[in-house]
Amino acid sequence: MDLLDLFSQFSKNTGFFLVDYRNIIMLLVGILFVYLSIAKKYEPLLLLPIGFGVIVGNIPFFKGFGIGIYEANSVLHYLYFGVTSGVYPSIVFLGLGAMTDFSFLLSNPKLMLLGAAAQMGIFFTLLSAMALGFAPNEASSIAMIGGADGPTSIFLTAKLAPELIGPIAIAAYSYMALIPIIQPPIMKLLTTKKERVIHMADLREVSQKERLIFPVVGVILCCFLAPASIALLGPFFFGNLMKESAVVERLAQTARTAVIDTATIFLGFTVGASTQGDVFLNPKSIGIFILGAVAFSIATGSGIIFAKIMNLFLKQKINPLLGAAGVSAVPGSAREVHMMGLKSDPNNYLLMHAMACNSSGVIGSAICAGILWSFNMK
Amino acid sequence: MTGIEAITLHNGWAMAVVGATIVISGLAILALIISQLHNIIDLLEKKKKVPGVEVSTEILKESNSVDKGITNIEFTLELYQPLFEELDEQFQLADLYELAKRDNLPHPHISIRCMCESGNLCFLGNGTFSFLK
Repeated sequence: MDLLDLFSQFSKNTGFFLVDYRNIIMLLVGILFVYLSIAKKYEPLLLLPIGFGVIVGNIPFFKGFGIGIYEANSVLHYLYFGVTSGVYPSIVFLGLGAMTDFSFLLSNPKLMLLGAAAQMGIFFTLLSAMALGFAPNEASSIAMIGGADGPTSIFLTAKLAPELIGPIAIAAYSYMALIPIIQPPIMKLLTTKKERVIHMADLREVSQKERLIFPVVGVILCCFLAPASIALLGPFFFGNLMKESAVVERLAQTARTAVIDTATIFLGFTVGASTQGDVFLNPKSIGIFILGAVAFSIATGSGIIFAKIMNLFLKQKINPLLGAAGVSAVPGSAREVHMMGLKSDPNNYLLMHAMACNSSGVIGSAICAGILWSFNMK
Repeated sequence: MTGIEAITLHNGWAMAVVGATIVISGLAILALIISQLHNIIDLLEKKKKVPGVEVSTEILKESNSVDKGITNIEFTLELYQPLFEELDEQFQLADLYELAKRDNLPHPHISIRCMCESGNLCFLGNGTFSFLK
């Protein structure tokens, strides 16, 4: 009898007994993410850790023993602290800065305006989320999905609406992974064949002095404007200065490899694990996913439309496709713009120009995060 | 509460307009600054160079004489007169060139070419020349 009792008690603590339909749904989502990242190679650096995190986070467990990510003193909870405190996004930005080459932006600064225009998706989504009944802090966090910048979305959500980190992070990264599906139809819809074949002028050579001065000027100006973005733009420009100075190549190399990789692993994995079915699957999450898609599409569209408006005043026209790269999904959106340009004209190489818009988008979305955080400070 | 009412209640219109204005103007200012960055650097580098460049009087003299020599064949002939006196009546241009280099005369190639073109160096055949005053 004791043997049977023990077995019965044990079986009640197993996942097979505790599982409910929400766990199963999320496990399927996790498996789908893992499949997409490996088989379809959709942003594997993001989707693989997130997908596996979703699987781990949705294994049913006996609550109250410090196992789950939302239970104090659990290992996952400590790892998740990097997300809720905004540490991982800052570290990711350090690595991003050490990877980014601003030469393309410095040689054609007007492309920076496209990075600003693409942020309109954020403010449109802010209004839409408010209209759907979300509180201003929640609406601001959801709106950041329009920046197409996962770390920034997580950072702002951690500050304003920590309870929404899971759905917002999943939405932001999912849409970043789905760039090859979301952006091309919008680009085609908003541009004519004639516009898509516009060739961009050759970029001028940028001196090392310019590249050295830029991160210093950039951090001062942007952080004076929106001090709340210091945690993101500070490490970002510092990483870039390390790269450009060429005197701390070892540090820059570490920042753009080991440091950012470590942060990305834990960021993706813990964000995935935070999507426990019972916490994640609710009407708000569905609303966030819908708004995320709207935000991303509006951001892409507003960049393209702004580029077309700029062309009304410019002697040397710019290819409006570049506006789509104003979202800060580096380098996914730049790659899509380049591919679309090549499809229209096999000799039209837009990658470098699109990267300029992309890097401007990173700065723009971080400024937006700072602005929205400031608006919600009470 | 939902809809436009909710936006108005939460001051959403102002947040969107002010936020969008700040981010566009911020990046526009940054774009303006970086568009002028190379000009500012060039200006600073030029300013740096102006007081730092000291041209020695010898170099000035030399450059003056070069200019004068290139534009004035008589001045070149005057400079090369002692060399012609050292050489035989018929000589090779290589010998004249060696003497010019020995005496550090400026731009011997150009000077010799000018004298050929002006007819003061007459080609005699077999690679020899003579000097005609």
